[in-house]
Amino acid sequence: MLKGLAIDVSRVEPVEAPESAEETRQLLEARAGLYRLLAGVFVEEPGREFLEALRRPEALASLAEAGVSFDADFLEPGLDQLIDALSTEFTTLFAASGGFPPVESVRLTGRYQQDPLFTVREDYRRAGFKALKGRFAVFEDQLGMELLFIAEMLESCARALDCGDRSEYNRLTREVKRFWTLHLGKWVRGYCGLVQRATEHSFYREMAKFLEAFAGEEIALLKLRIEDTDQGREIVPKSEIQVLFNPDEPVCNACGENTDAQGGARA
Amino acid sequence: MLDKLKMTRRTFIKVAGGTTAAAAAAPRLLSAMEQDLGGKDFSPVDLKERQAIPVNCHVCNIQDGAIAYVENGRVVKLEGNPEHVSTRGRLCAKGNAGMWYSYDPDRILYPLKRVGARGEGKWKRITWDEALNEVAGKIKEVLDKGEPNEIMLKYGRNRSGGAIDRFMRTLGSNTIVNHTSVCESSKKIGMEPTWGPDIETPDFANTKYVLNFGSNILEAAYFHNPLSQRIAEGRVDNNMKIVTFDVRLSNTAGFSDEWIPVFPGTDGAVALAMGHVILREDLQDSEFIENWTNVSVKELKEHYKQYTPEWAEKLSGVPAAAIERIAREFAQTKPATLFTYRGPCKHLYGSYNEKACMMLPIMTGNVEKRGGYCLPRGMGWPQPQPEPAKPGKDSYLSHPPDYPLAAHKVSHLTPFFLADGKQKIKIYFTYQDNPVYTNPGSVAVWGKVMRDEKLLPYFVSMSSHMGEETALADIILPDCPYLERWEPESMPNSLWPWLGIRQPVHAYLGESRENRIILRDIIHKVDPDGSRGMKKFWNFKDGEDYMRQHFDNIPGLKEAGGMNWLKKHGVWPVYGKLDPKSGKVTDKTGREIKADYGLYKKELSDADMAGAVVDKNGTITKNGKAIGVKRGGRNYVGFPTGNRLINVRVEHWAEYGFNPMPTFKQVPWHKDIKDDDLILTTFKLNVHKQSRTAAVKWLAEIAHSNPAWMNPQTAKKIGVKTGDLIRVESKVGHMVTKAYVTEGIHPKVIAIATAFGHWEYGRLATLKLKEKPQWGGQDDPDLNNVWWDDKGVHPNAIIPVVADPIGGSQGWYDTVVKVTKAGPNDKYGDVQGDWQKHYEAYKETIRYAYTGDLHRKMHPEMASWAGPESLKGKAPGGGH
Repeated sequence: MLKGLAIDVSRVEPVEAPESAEETRQLLEARAGLYRLLAGVFVEEPGREFLEALRRPEALASLAEAGVSFDADFLEPGLDQLIDALSTEFTTLFAASGGFPPVESVRLTGRYQQDPLFTVREDYRRAGFKALKGRFAVFEDQLGMELLFIAEMLESCARALDCGDRSEYNRLTREVKRFWTLHLGKWVRGYCGLVQRATEHSFYREMAKFLEAFAGEEIALLKLRIEDTDQGREIVPKSEIQVLFNPDEPVCNACGENTDAQGGARA
Repeated sequence: MLDKLKMTRRTFIKVAGGTTAAAAAAPRLLSAMEQDLGGKDFSPVDLKERQAIPVNCHVCNIQDGAIAYVENGRVVKLEGNPEHVSTRGRLCAKGNAGMWYSYDPDRILYPLKRVGARGEGKWKRITWDEALNEVAGKIKEVLDKGEPNEIMLKYGRNRSGGAIDRFMRTLGSNTIVNHTSVCESSKKIGMEPTWGPDIETPDFANTKYVLNFGSNILEAAYFHNPLSQRIAEGRVDNNMKIVTFDVRLSNTAGFSDEWIPVFPGTDGAVALAMGHVILREDLQDSEFIENWTNVSVKELKEHYKQYTPEWAEKLSGVPAAAIERIAREFAQTKPATLFTYRGPCKHLYGSYNEKACMMLPIMTGNVEKRGGYCLPRGMGWPQPQPEPAKPGKDSYLSHPPDYPLAAHKVSHLTPFFLADGKQKIKIYFTYQDNPVYTNPGSVAVWGKVMRDEKLLPYFVSMSSHMGEETALADIILPDCPYLERWEPESMPNSLWPWLGIRQPVHAYLGESRENRIILRDIIHKVDPDGSRGMKKFWNFKDGEDYMRQHFDNIPGLKEAGGMNWLKKHGVWPVYGKLDPKSGKVTDKTGREIKADYGLYKKELSDADMAGAVVDKNGTITKNGKAIGVKRGGRNYVGFPTGNRLINVRVEHWAEYGFNPMPTFKQVPWHKDIKDDDLILTTFKLNVHKQSRTAAVKWLAEIAHSNPAWMNPQTAKKIGVKTGDLIRVESKVGHMVTKAYVTEGIHPKVIAIATAFGHWEYGRLATLKLKEKPQWGGQDDPDLNNVWWDDKGVHPNAIIPVVADPIGGSQGWYDTVVKVTKAGPNDKYGDVQGDWQKHYEAYKETIRYAYTGDLHRKMHPEMASWAGPESLKGKAPGGGH
C-alpha cells in the first residue's frame, strides 16, 4: 500500500516482503491496477467511462486517502464539460507544439523516436507484446504505454504465482526491475514534477503527484537505486534541504586536528 | 657507441627542403576513407552496415541526391548520393541536418482543432475521421452553393508532382495561389518570354569568365550545391575569372576576383551599359543575333546607344571605366557565362533588370555552348489517369487582372485583395506556406487578415510544424516532413537531366500523413460514392502506388526497372561512376561524362517535318504551332518560345504599354534618396532557408541571430559600433536590432538576414521555453544545450509591398529606411508594422500596374500605346 505522497526520506518505511503467496498476489494485482489507472491518465485524453469511474465517491475517497486532492475544476463540471477541458489540457501539455510530450525519447534525448523507443519496442517484443493504436497512434516509449507494460508484467507475475511457477515469477520480477532501471526509473519522477508545475488543471497536477509518489514507492519496493535523469525534476535550493546529518561535518576524522604525524585514520 | 644525431627545427627545414622530390615520390598507401565509402555507412558500435535509402533532399529546393542511413528504424545520418549526377555525393549543411525535422518534439503529430480564439494557442486533438468530416462538410457547403472558387489553396514549397493542382481541379476551384512572387517570379518573367525557360544553367565548370549579378550561389541561390561544385571546378581546373555585382560582400562575392558593390536595383543599368560597350566596339556575335533572335544587330546597336557607361555610373555608382573594362573582358573571353538571382529581379521593375542581364550572353553568342549560358535540362512524368479538367471560371486572386503578364502570380498582394473584397473566400487551405512570416508586412498584414474570421471564415493548415501561419489555423492536418513522403522529382540543377524520387525512410510518426493521402481522404469524404464525379481522380492505394502511376511507363526508365530502379538508386539515369579522386562522374575509361550542348540546334526528324510549313523567316509551323526554325538549309528545333527564337523584342509586353526591348527603370523613390536614408535589403545564410530551418537543431546552433550589416561610414555617422542597438524605421513600421559594422556592405545599404526572429515554429526557433521554466524550458535535454539566448529579429513587418507591374515580384530590396541609434525606449527585438500604412503602400504600388496612373509616366518611350482600355476582354498571359 502506498503510505503517502510527501517526498520526505525520513518517512520512507522499509518495505517488507509479504509473508504469503496470496498476499504477494494481492499486492501484484493492486500494483497492476494502479499502473493501469495511471496509464489511463497519461496514454491519451481521458474518456467518459474512465472519468465517470474516477469521480465515483469510493474512487475519490481512496485517492484522497493516498493524498490526492482534486479541485473544483475536476469535481464540479458536467462530464461533457470536463471531457472537453481535459482534452484541451492534454493536448496543450502533451500533444501540441510547445508542450512536453510524455515520451521517453523526448525526455531523455530531446527528440522523438530515438534509442529509448527501439529498446522499449524490443522489450515488448521479447515479452510477447506489440503496441496497438488507441484513439490515436502512440509511441511505444510513451509514458502510458510503459506503465501498461509493467501492468501486464505484474499480472503475468500473479498468474505465475497462481500456477506455482516460482521461477517464472522470479524471471518476470527481474524483467520489471530491469524495465524500471532502464526506462521508467530514468525519467518518470522528474517528468511528474514538470507536469505538476506546468498544468493548470488539478486532474493532471494531482495524478502527476500521485504517479511521482507511486514511482518512488515502486522503486523502493523493487529495491532499486536509479537516478532520475529527466531534468524535469525541480532543483531545490540547498538551504531548503532537510537532512539527518550535518553536511559540513567531516566524513571521517582523517583530516582533523587529532591526526597524528604518522598519518592514518582512527575511528 | 653509435653517434646520436643532433636535430633542431632548423635541420627539419633544411632536410625537408632538400628532399621534397623524394617525399613526393614515396608511395602513398592511405586515402581518405570518406571518399571510398561513399554510398555506404557502418555503425560504429557493431560495425554492421547501415540500411541506405536513396532520397531527394528537401530541406531547401535544390533537390540534392541524398542517402538516408537508417539504423533500427531511425535515420542516423544523411549524406550525398554518389549516383546523383548533379550533386555527386555531396550534401550541404542543411541536407545533413534534415532528419531533425522528423524527430522534432514540436512537430505536429495529430489533427488539431482550435478551441480558443485564433492564435491563442489552445488546441484539442481530434481523430482523422473527425477532422476529415469537418473539412469535407465545409467544402460541401461551398460546392453546394455553386461557388468552388471560394475554396482557396495557397502553397509555399509544393513538390507534390501535381497532387495539389489535381485537388483544386477536382473541387472545381481556380483559386490556387503560390509563393513565387516573394521568391523570384520577376526573374522568371524576365526570361520566359525571351527564351522560354524560367532559369539558366551556367556551365561554370568549363567557362573562363563569369558575370554574377546578385546571386549568392556559394551559399543559397538556385542551385547552390551542384553549382558551387562547378564554380570550384571552373576556378581550379579552368582558371576562370568571376566578377560579382552585389550590395553585400557575400561569401560568393568574397570568392570572386572582383566584388563590385552596386546601388540596389541598378544591376540592369550596369548590364545595359556593358551591352552598349560590346555593341559599340562590335564585340557582339552577329551571326548568333541575326540567326537566333528576333532583332537585327543594327536594331540592337541603335537601341543600346542610349545606355552609356556614364549614364549607368550615375545610377549604380559603378565607375564607367570598370563597366567598360568588364564588358570588354566578358565579350572577348570565350567561353563566358552569366548568372543572376534575386539581386536584379526583386525590385519594382525586376523583370527589366533580368532581361538586361541575360542579354549579355545572348549578344555575345555564349548561349548553349560549352562553358556558356545554357538552357535548363529537366525531365517530366505523366500524371495518373483520369485527370480532372481545368476549372472554367477564373479567380481574381489567382490571376489579378491588373497584372496580366505576371504568369507566376502576385500572391503577396492577396491580403489586400481580400481586404478590398476583390474575391470572397470561405475556406483557406495552406500547404508548406508561411506568409505570416515570409511575406512583406508579415504579421502586420497577413497576421491581421488571417485572424479575421469574416475575411477567412475557415482556415485549414496542412503542416508538420507550428509555423506562424499554422498557429492561426482553425484546424491543422498534420503533414509529414520530407523523409516520410513519396514525391516525384526532377530539377534542372546541372547539365544532365534526371528523374528522382523522395521515398519514406521510415513510417509516419504519430498520425501525420503525406499530403497526397490527406487530399485523397478529403475528396473521398466529399464524394464518398463518386456521385459528384470527384472520387475517380483519387484512385490510388498509397503514395507508392501513385508514384508507380507516374514512373512505371517512362521510356528508358521502364526498361531499367521503373519505380523499382528509383527505389533502389533514387535517381535515373545513373550516368557513370563517381571518381573519388576528382569528384566527377566518369565513364568506363575514367573520363568525365560530357554534357550535350546546342540543344536549340537539334535537328527535326523527317517525321517531325511531315506536314510542316516553312515561312519566309524560316519558322517551321505544324498544326498551327511553331516547331522549329530553318537556318542554312537545316531544320532546327530552336528555342522553346512561341516563334522558336530568342525574343529580344517581347511584343506582348508592348501591348500593355511596357517597353518590349531591353531597358531599365530606376525605382522612383530611390531617385531622391536623402543623405541619411539607406536601402534595406535581406539575404539568406548558407545554413538556413526562408522560414522552415529555425527548428532544425544543428542549423539553429550554427546560426541563430541576424545583426544588421552596415558600413562603417553609416555607423560613424550615427555613432554606433558592432553590437550596439539600432532603430530601423521604414514608412510602414520600425524594428530594433543590433548593428554589425563591416566594410562588406554598400554604404547606402543595411542588410538583415531572414530565417530568424520567429515567434512561432517551436522551442528552438522561439526560445520561448527558456523563458518559461515551469514549462520545462530549463529541463528539456536539448534546450539545456542551447547556449544562446538571441533568436534574432525578423524584418518583414517593416517592409512594404511592392509589385513589379510586369513580373509581379515583391520588391524586397526597394525599402528606404532611416537608421538611428536606439533610443531609451527601444528594446532589442521590437518590431512594429502598421496595417494602415501597409495598405497605403499597396495602393501606391498598384499605381505602377498597367492600369495605374503612374504606368504611362514611367514609360514615356511608349507614348503611342493605346492605353488599358484598348485591352478590355483580352486574355491574360505572360508565360511562354
